[in-house]
Amino acid sequence: MKTDTQQETVFSNNQLSVDEIPSFKTLALVPISKKYRALNIFSIGLIALALIGIITGLRFQRFWSLPDNLLLAYPYVVAGIVAIGGVWVLYHFFADVRIFYAIREQDISKQSGLIFRKLSCQPILRVQHVEVNRGPLDRWAGLASLQVFSAGGEMYTFEIPGLSLSRAEQLREFILAHKDIGAR
Amino acid sequence: MAASGSSENQTINIMRSQEPNDDVSLSLKNEGEGSSEDRPEVETGGDWQRLAVISILYFTIRNFTNMAQGLIYAVPALAISFNIWDNLFSPQVLIGAGVLFLSTSGSGVISYLMYKFRVHNQHVEIHHGVFQRRYTNLPLWRIQNVKIERPFYYRPFGYALVVLDTAGSGKEEAKIVAVPESYAEALKKQVLYEKVQHIGDDVTGKSDEEMGDKDSSTQHSAKIDTAAASALTNEEVLNRRSVKDIIIHGITNNRVWIILGAAAPFYDDVFGVVSEWLANKGLQLNQIVGEQTVAWWQFGLYAFVVLMMIMALVALLSVGGALFTFYGYTLSRTGDRYIRRSGLLNKLEVSMRASRIQMITAKQDWLDKVLKRVNLYFEQNSTAGQQMQELMSPNKLIVPSVTEDEAFALSQEVMPGCDLRGQHYQTISRRFIRFWLLAAWTTPLIGIFVVGAVTSHLDIMIGAVSTFIIVTLLLTLRWWRWGIAYDNKYVYIRRGRVGVDYQCFEPYKAQQVIVKQSIFMKKRKLATIKFVLASGAVTVPFLPEEYVNKLADSVLYEVEATRKSWM
Repeated sequence: MKTDTQQETVFSNNQLSVDEIPSFKTLALVPISKKYRALNIFSIGLIALALIGIITGLRFQRFWSLPDNLLLAYPYVVAGIVAIGGVWVLYHFFADVRIFYAIREQDISKQSGLIFRKLSCQPILRVQHVEVNRGPLDRWAGLASLQVFSAGGEMYTFEIPGLSLSRAEQLREFILAHKDIGAR
Repeated sequence: MAASGSSENQTINIMRSQEPNDDVSLSLKNEGEGSSEDRPEVETGGDWQRLAVISILYFTIRNFTNMAQGLIYAVPALAISFNIWDNLFSPQVLIGAGVLFLSTSGSGVISYLMYKFRVHNQHVEIHHGVFQRRYTNLPLWRIQNVKIERPFYYRPFGYALVVLDTAGSGKEEAKIVAVPESYAEALKKQVLYEKVQHIGDDVTGKSDEEMGDKDSSTQHSAKIDTAAASALTNEEVLNRRSVKDIIIHGITNNRVWIILGAAAPFYDDVFGVVSEWLANKGLQLNQIVGEQTVAWWQFGLYAFVVLMMIMALVALLSVGGALFTFYGYTLSRTGDRYIRRSGLLNKLEVSMRASRIQMITAKQDWLDKVLKRVNLYFEQNSTAGQQMQELMSPNKLIVPSVTEDEAFALSQEVMPGCDLRGQHYQTISRRFIRFWLLAAWTTPLIGIFVVGAVTSHLDIMIGAVSTFIIVTLLLTLRWWRWGIAYDNKYVYIRRGRVGVDYQCFEPYKAQQVIVKQSIFMKKRKLATIKFVLASGAVTVPFLPEEYVNKLADSVLYEVEATRKSWM
C-alpha cells in the first residue's frame, strides 16, 4: 500500500513559509445534528423520572415501614434530583448546540464545551481504527457517534457524537478510504 | 486472545514477507551449519518443545507467591472462624497446611507439564495455563521488546527467562519461562535481525518483488544480511552506573517501594507488631508527658531523633532498593536498539527500538539539583491498563542519576540536536496563578478562616493564612517553571515546582493536538495546548493564543506532511 502511494505521488518537499501552513483557525465548522440536544434532554428526563419513580415507590409501598427520618427526607431528595437534572438539562441545552466538527484532507477536528472550549484535531494518518457507535436511544432517534482511536490511549479517543447515521457512515468510509490508513 | 485478535493481520504479514523470509531462514540455516557453536538455531522445528526442568522452580515460586497473596485475605477469616491460633499444631491444621504446600509444589510440576512452546516459521507459539488453556502466537517481526530476565536461581545453571512484547495494546506478551542463556541471546538476535530485515523489506523489498527478479531479491537479502550482521556485532556501551551513582540515586529518589513491594505478603504481620509496639510506647509516652517528668524541649529532641532515625532507615532501605534494581547498570546500543541491563539478584535486560522512543524526560528533584544529577527517561508508548512497575517497565527506559553533562550527551544520542536547557522557553501567563487561586483555593480557605474567626480559634486562622501563602508560593514556582519551546525540530517543555522536569519530543510523533480555551481566557487572548503522544499527553496552559495556534498548526503540519511513522 505504501509503495503504491509513493509511486502515485511525485515526492516534493518544497520550502513553505509560515503563512502557507494551513491554519485550523480557518476551519469551516459544521454543527452536529439538532436531535442530539433533544435526545440528551429527553434521556436526562427519563433518568430523573426513573429515579423519582423508584423513590416514590419506596416511599408509598405498604410492605415494610420506613424510619421517620427517611420519610421526612423524601421531598428534599425529590427536589435534589429535580435540581441536579435541571442543571444538567441546562448544560446540555446550551452546550450541545456548541459541538461542531470539521473535516480536512488530512485531519478531522471537533470543537466542544460550554465554558471551556476545546478544539481537538486528529490527523487521519495516526488513526488506528474507527467505530460507529449506536446506543438504543441513538438508534431510536436515528443518530450515531463516530469514535476514532489513535495510539494516544483510551482517554483520548476522538469522538463526534450526535451525527446522523448516514453522516457517521460517510465519515467512517472517508477515514477508512484515506490512503494513509494502514501505512501506520 | 492474542491469536484470535490478530489472525487477520498475521495472514497479511505472512503474504507480504513470505519470500524474503524463506530466503533468510535458509541462509541462516547454512550459517548455522558452518558455525553452530556461536549461534544456536532459533527455529525449533514443527515439534513442540518443553522448557528446561529448572522452570519447575520458577513455576513453583510463582504459584507460591500467588497463593500467599490470595491467602492474605483468607487468613483473618480462617483465624476467626476456626480459632486457628489456639491449636496451631493440631493435626487438622498441619494436614491442611501440608496439603496446601504439596499441592502448590505439585502445581509447579503441572504448570511445567502444561507448557509447550515452539519457534516455527518465524512464529513463536506457546501453549500454557492449567485450568485456562492459552495459546499465544507471535510472529517474530511483530515483537517490539525483548526482555531477558535472569532470576538468581537460574544463574548458576545458565538459564534465562525471555519476555516478548508486541506493539499491540494490553497483555499481548509471551513468556518463554526457561531456556538456556545462549538460546535466549540467539532468539533476541533473531528478533532484532527479523526487525532489520522487515524494515528493509518495507523500504526496498517491494520494488524488488515487483520486478520479480530472483537475483535482485537474493542480493537484497544479502545486503540486509550484512546490515543486520553489523548491527548485531557492534554493541556500544553508552552509559554505566557505578555503585556510587546508584547510592546517590537511592538517596535522591525514594526507592523504598521496591523493598516494601517485595515484602507485601508480610504486611499484616508487620502492621500488627508495629501497632502493638506503638500502643505500648504510646501509653508510656502519654504517661511521661502527663507526669511532666520530661521537659518539653527534651521531648521535642526525642521526637527529632526518632524522626531522623526513621529517615535514615528509609534512606538506607531506598539505597538498598536502588542497588537491588540498578546494580551493574549499563545502557548500550546495537543497531537501532537501546539495551538496558541491570539488577542484583534478578538480572534484567530490556531492549527498546530507538524509533519507538516518543519522548525524552529529564527529571530533577530539589535534591538532584543540589547534587547536579538528572534522572533520564526514554518513554515508549504506554499501553493503557498495563500498570507496570515503572522501573522494570520496558515502556520507560530509565537512566538513573546521571550527571547533567551525561544527560545532555545521552539526549543528544537519542534525539540528535536536542538541547533541553539551551532553549528560549515561552513562559505561561501570570493569570495561571490567579486562576488556580480563585478557582480552587480561595473559597475553601476563606471558609476555614471565617470558621476560625467565628469560633475564635487563632490556630485555625493562622493555618488558613499560611496554607494560602504556601499555595500561592507553589503556584508561583509552577508558573515560573512552566514553559514551552519549539525549534522547528523538537518541541520542548519545562515544568516543575522546586525541581525541574524537561521533556522533549519530535512533533511528527503527535497523535492528536488539543487546544483549550475558556471564555475568560479568550478575552485575554490565552489558550492551553495539549499534545497527545503514544506515551501520554503533555499540557501547557495559559499560553498566548497566537503562539498556541501557530504551534498547533506547525505540529499538525509536521505530522501530516512528513508522514513519518510514530513507531
